[in-house]
Formats: sequence, C-alpha cells, structure tokens
Amino acid sequence: MADGSASVTPAAPTPLIAPGHTTASVTDKIASVVLQRTPRWFYPAFGAAFLLLMLFLYAVTVLLVRGTGVWGLNVPVAWGFAIINFVWWIGIGHAGTLISAILLLLRQEWRTSINRFAEAMTLFAVACAGLFPILHLGRPWLMYWLFPYPNTMSLWPQFRSPLVWDVFAVSTYALVSLMFWYVGLIPDLATLRDRSRHWFARTFYGVMAMGWRGSSAHWHNYEKAYILLAGLATPLVISVHSVVSFDFAVGVIPGWHATIFPPYFVAGAIFAGFAMVVTLAIPLRAVFGLHDFITARHLRNMAKIMLATGLIVAYGYVMELFFAWYSGNPFEQFMVINRITGPYRTAWFALILCNVLVTQLLWFPKVRRSVIGMWIVAMFINVGMWLERFIIVVTSLHRDFLPSSWGMYSGTFWDWAVLIGSIGLFLSLMFLFIRFLPMISIFEIRTILPKRSRGEVS
Amino acid sequence: MTERRWSAEEERYRAPAWLDRVQRRALLLGVFAALLSVVGALLSPEHFFRAYLVGFLFWIGIPLGLFGISMLQHMTGGGWGLVARRVFEAASRTLPFLALLFLPLLWGRRSLYVWARPEVVAESELLQHKQPYLNEPFFLGRALLYFGVWLLFALLLSRWSLQQDRSNDPHLHRRMQILSSLGLVAYMLTASFASFDWLMSLDPAWFSSLFGIHFVVGHGAAAFAFLIVWMRRLSGTEPMADVVAPRHFDDYGKFLLAFVLLWAYVSFSQFLIIWSGNLPEEITWYVHRQEGGWWWLGIVVFALHFVLPFFLLLSPALRREPARLALVALPVLVGRWLDLHWQAVPSLELHAPLLHWLDIAVLVAIGGLWLAAFLWQLKRRALVPIHDPHLQEALADA
Repeated sequence: MADGSASVTPAAPTPLIAPGHTTASVTDKIASVVLQRTPRWFYPAFGAAFLLLMLFLYAVTVLLVRGTGVWGLNVPVAWGFAIINFVWWIGIGHAGTLISAILLLLRQEWRTSINRFAEAMTLFAVACAGLFPILHLGRPWLMYWLFPYPNTMSLWPQFRSPLVWDVFAVSTYALVSLMFWYVGLIPDLATLRDRSRHWFARTFYGVMAMGWRGSSAHWHNYEKAYILLAGLATPLVISVHSVVSFDFAVGVIPGWHATIFPPYFVAGAIFAGFAMVVTLAIPLRAVFGLHDFITARHLRNMAKIMLATGLIVAYGYVMELFFAWYSGNPFEQFMVINRITGPYRTAWFALILCNVLVTQLLWFPKVRRSVIGMWIVAMFINVGMWLERFIIVVTSLHRDFLPSSWGMYSGTFWDWAVLIGSIGLFLSLMFLFIRFLPMISIFEIRTILPKRSRGEVS
Repeated sequence: MTERRWSAEEERYRAPAWLDRVQRRALLLGVFAALLSVVGALLSPEHFFRAYLVGFLFWIGIPLGLFGISMLQHMTGGGWGLVARRVFEAASRTLPFLALLFLPLLWGRRSLYVWARPEVVAESELLQHKQPYLNEPFFLGRALLYFGVWLLFALLLSRWSLQQDRSNDPHLHRRMQILSSLGLVAYMLTASFASFDWLMSLDPAWFSSLFGIHFVVGHGAAAFAFLIVWMRRLSGTEPMADVVAPRHFDDYGKFLLAFVLLWAYVSFSQFLIIWSGNLPEEITWYVHRQEGGWWWLGIVVFALHFVLPFFLLLSPALRREPARLALVALPVLVGRWLDLHWQAVPSLELHAPLLHWLDIAVLVAIGGLWLAAFLWQLKRRALVPIHDPHLQEALADA
C-alpha cells in the first residue's frame, strides 16, 4: 500500500483479509463454495426466488396477451412503473462498474473481495432494467425498430431523442459489463476446471476457460485486456445514467427540466448500487462463512461511499427546492408544493426519510461497524431510491401545466407483480451465479496476500 | 503568531531562500499593477469592476480549490496529497486576505448587479420575486457567512496540522479527518451559493441548478493546475527535491485530467439540457454567448480547458515529467480565467470588447498580491507535515 490507496486508520489498519491465509487456503475456501455438494438451505432459498421469477413470467404473459392496459398507465401519467423500475435497476448496476473499473484504476485494493459479485450484480440488474422499456413498448416484438437499420418502411429513429440514446447507452453498457466480467472470470474458471472431479464440471469449466494455462504470455495479455476494459467501462459509469437523466431533463416538464440532473442521477445510481451490494454481501458472507474476505473494513468503506453519494443526492434535493423558487417559474414552484403537500406527499416524506435522514446514521462509526445496522440502512436506501424515481416520474406528470388534464396514478396488481417478479429474476440469477461460479475473485485475492505478509514483516 | 524555535526535523524541511526573491517580485508586480488598476478605475469604473470580479473569482478559486482538495486528502489519504499538504494549507491561510479583497466588490455592487439597483427592481416583477434572496443586506450577510465557514475550517485544520508537527499527538490525525468530512459538506454548499451570488446573479433572470457544481469543478481544475506549476518549482531545489517523486506528478496529472473531464461533462450537460429545452428564460444566456466574438472565445475556452489538456494528459510519460506537465497546466489556468470572463462579461454588456486592458491589469494585480501572501504563508512552516503517520509511506522510494 505504498501510494494512492487509502488506508483508513493509520495506527492499526484493519486487514483486507483476515490473517493466517495462504494462497492454498484462499483457493480452497472460495472454490469449495462452488465445488462442494449443494448446501441444504440452497433449495428453499432458490425455490423462493424461482417462484418470484415464475410470477414475473406470468405477469409478463398477461401483459403480452392483454396489452399494456393491465398496467396503471394512462394519460397524463404515461410513464409509470416501467420507467421507474428501469431507472431503479440500472442505477443498482452502477456500483458494480464503479467497483470493478474506477476503484481498479484508483488502486483501491479492498475492491478485490467484492468486485466479482458486484459485477455479476451489475449484469443481472442491467438484464432486469433492459426488460422494462421493451415491455413498455406495448408491442415488444417490434423492439428492433429502435435500431437504425435499413428498411422499406422509411423508418428511422429520432436521434434527437434521449430515448434513442438510451438504446445505445444501455446496450453498450450491458456488453462492456459482460466482457469485463467474463474476462475477469477466465483465470478462476481454469482453477475450477483443474479442481473439479466430475467430468461434466471439468468440461463445462474447461470450455469456459478457453484454454487458459496461466502462462506468462496469458497473464501478460490478460492484464492488458483487463486494464483496457476498465478504461472503457469507466466513462460508462457516468454516461449511462447521465443519458437516463436526459430522458427527463431534455423535456420541459416542471421537475424534469433541471440542469443538475446528470450528476445527481449518477450519484444516486452509485448510492443505490452500493446499498444493493451491502444488502447482498452481508447475508452471503454469513451463510458461506466469508468473513475472512469480506471484512469489517469492506463494509466500512462501502458505508462511507454510501454516505458521500447520499450527501450528493441530498445536495440535489436542496438545489431542486432552491431553484424551483429562484427560477420564478410558477409551474416549477407548484411542482415542489405539490410534491410536499399534494396527494403523493406520503411518498415524498418517505423518500426524504429513507434517502436523507436514515443515511445520516452512517456518520456514526458505531453504525458503520454494526452489520445489522448497515443492512437496515441499506434496505432503507433500496426503498428510498425506488421512491425517488416514483416521485420524479409521477408527481411531474400527474399535474403539469393544464389543470383540466390532471389525473392520479397508481400501480395495479400487474405493475407490482412485474416489479416483484423482476426481483425474483435478479435473485434467481444471483443464486445460480453463486452456485456455479466463484463469487470472489480467487486469483486477485491471491495477489494481495504476499504483499500483506511483506507489510507485516517490515 | 510569534516566531518560535524550529526543531531539527522541521529545519530539515525549511523553505528554500529563493522563495523570498519570488515573493518580493510578486509583491512588486502586484503593487505596480494595482496602481495601474486604480488609474483605470478612475478612468472607467465600469470596466474596472467587471475585470475585478473576474480576477477575484479566478484567484479565489485556487485557494478555495486547494482547501477543498486538502479536506478530500485528509479523508482519503494518499501520498500525492501528503507531500503537498503544506501548499494546501498555505493557500487556505490566504483566505482572510481574499476576504479583504472582496471589499471592492461591495463598493462596485450597483455597477455589477442589476438587482442591486432599486430603479430596475421597481420595474421588474421577476426581480421583485427574487428580492428576498437578491438584496444588498442579505448578499453581504451571505458573503460573511461563506468566508466565516471557510476561515473556520481552513484555519482550524491548518492549526491542528501545526500542532501535529510539534506534539506528534496521534489523535490529531483522526480529528482532522472528522473536521474535513464536515468541512467538505459545508464547502460544497457555501461555494455553490457563492457562485449563485457572485457570478450567476449577474444575469438575474438566468438560472441553472448545475451552476454550483460547475463552479466547484472549475476550482478543482485550477487548483490542480496551480499545484502542478508550484510543485514543479519547489521540487527543483532542496528540500522538496527529495520529497516529490515522478509518481506524485503522475497522480497530479491524473487528477487534472479527471477535473478537466468533469468540467467538460458538466459544461456540456448544462448546455445540452438548456439547448434542448429552448425556454426563453434559459436559452438567452447561451444565445448571448453565441454572438460575435463570444462564440470564438467560447471555443478557445473549450480548447484550453478541455481538448488540449485531455489529449496531452493521457500520456503517462508526459505526466511523469514535471516540466512538460507544467506546460499543460498553464493553458488550463488561462482557460479557467477566460471561462469566468466568458460567463461574466456578456451578462453585463453584450457588445463589449472581448478584452479590455484593465482585465489583464487587475488580474495581475490581484494575482501578484495573492501570490506574495501565499509565499509568505508557505515559508512559515516546514514544507512537509513531519509527524503525519503516513509520511514514511509517502516518502518511500521517492
């Protein structure tokens, strides 16, 4: 830890990995999660997630058969749960990319224990996110119309619309995240290939490892590719959610047209993403006994990032309120008053509670040290960030310029079914990932071991 | 503070003698330019005040930016900032001096700010709406508050850092971290509102909620550019020659790259959102800046503050070479000044000449005086925080 990387408390730096581990014990411990027999608890847990996934399939089937009318969408609120869920899920994905790319470039070694499953989380969250705008199209089977392809219908996307930028931003993001994740997995897949005894597992991991033998030429190419992909992924952390914020901000709807939206959305995305990483990491390390790798220091660092990004989000709220008044625009002023005192005021107060008030608990070292405390705060943030998108989408649309066209909006059973079902999709993918792939990067943990023991000697 | 005896350790990092020479020259140049500016102020007060506003905002951005970076560094650690901490602190201690330099703006407030002219406010419904915020007593009160907050945090941090040098008290490190976390929150809010008051309200009808972040990011870029130039000079001679290593410059270069990128990102986002919304109360600001020479000046700003540094700073070899890195940092500083000029002047007089001789004279005047104050503060302490718990790490293989 010579330079750049932050060691938080200088007097007694909490170790990144609990003492006493060797290269072999790290490999054994992490690989055993995948290679041993399926633990008993896995079936009911996966079963519950799978049931939710079935709910998702059922709700989507109903949607496709009966049309978007089963959702609560209508004029004036034509952007409902689908857009809220899209923004929510894609925001959650951002922590993975931040951890894997930006923290790598910043030489933050503590990222090593959490980057693999955070990247997996990114992929699955983007998968969930991507479904919503497509389902929202009404005729999802025509989604390829969004792409600029030569056709006989004189159909061409409107390139001035940020909704078209979204198509490119999100698909690029999904692709780069997938490549990044897969490239990072290759050395570990080779480890699993060499360690598994069953012929099928050997073949499966062998094919996936693409002939990795760990030669120095392999490692040389690998390092280059990994850093290059990190460089590619870094601007995506900023650009994807900025483009998502443009979906709102380039319009002139009160409450959407604010120049602060891009950085404020990006901070909110990282905020939500870290909350989800904490939500997943705490139970995972408990059931698999990974306390040696995901230590108190990891949780503490994540708490600090959550607090910092949460404060940026709160700054965004302050600016929204101030500029609604300062602009002198009566519609902007009404929008704020309507948010705070109108029919959706409960959601607004709940949002402030979750995102602003509860987050301040992270100032206290006691909360940052408490596993339960951290998990509860993270759950509040998960809910709060969904509410934030609900407030942005719904309150701006339901009462805009013309009082005669005002209306109310609420999600129907099928709206909720798709939302809750998408959580099932996410969790099912997550469970399969944990069962079949190493959730912590084995070879990267190995690389930070010798450095640590050297540090202890001197 | 009275002169005290320096310990042998401190003595080892005493500022080199050539700083005195530079300080004297800066002071002379500053006084000379100040005299010229006074003549200019008598001839053309309007031009003087607008040049003064831009010059003041440019120079206060550097110590404010360095102050913000020092708090960030207290929280995150990193050898790059440890070896530069005394530069951060010396710059922070010039803030009282800048508070004094703010006074001429109060004198020129009616010349600069239309909302301070009762006869204009009486005719504008919008200005009457904004009057609870944009009025003279509150403007002054807020300025007092901003400087009060900055001075409180900056002087306290600087003081604790000196105590750490003398006493080697291990708790100070933690205390400075906690103070920095609170200070950074206070800094973001006060610097944002300062930008609304001092710069955005020049055109009181216009507003952009991103403006505060744009201002702070601009500080960051200017501060790192200044830091690069100064660390390069300091590292030329003992004692800093043994302290600052090429990898530190590599880090400064990356930070500058990050800040010019952020600057381009927020500038472009603000422009794109306002352009596509095309609302009369917002777009006018950009329409004015598309006219005549302002359009070209905007392109120059974009080139100096983004295109040029972005492509050059991508090279690791350049970042590790202090002399070349400083050559990239200087245009960023010029770009920052022109950016502030481009934001301020068209709001005051659209068909003004692009540059007035007073713009340069006042810039040099404030700069010379400020630099002299900065160097005076820099000399007063050892150039390295000798008892910081991470110092050995930071100096390792320098």
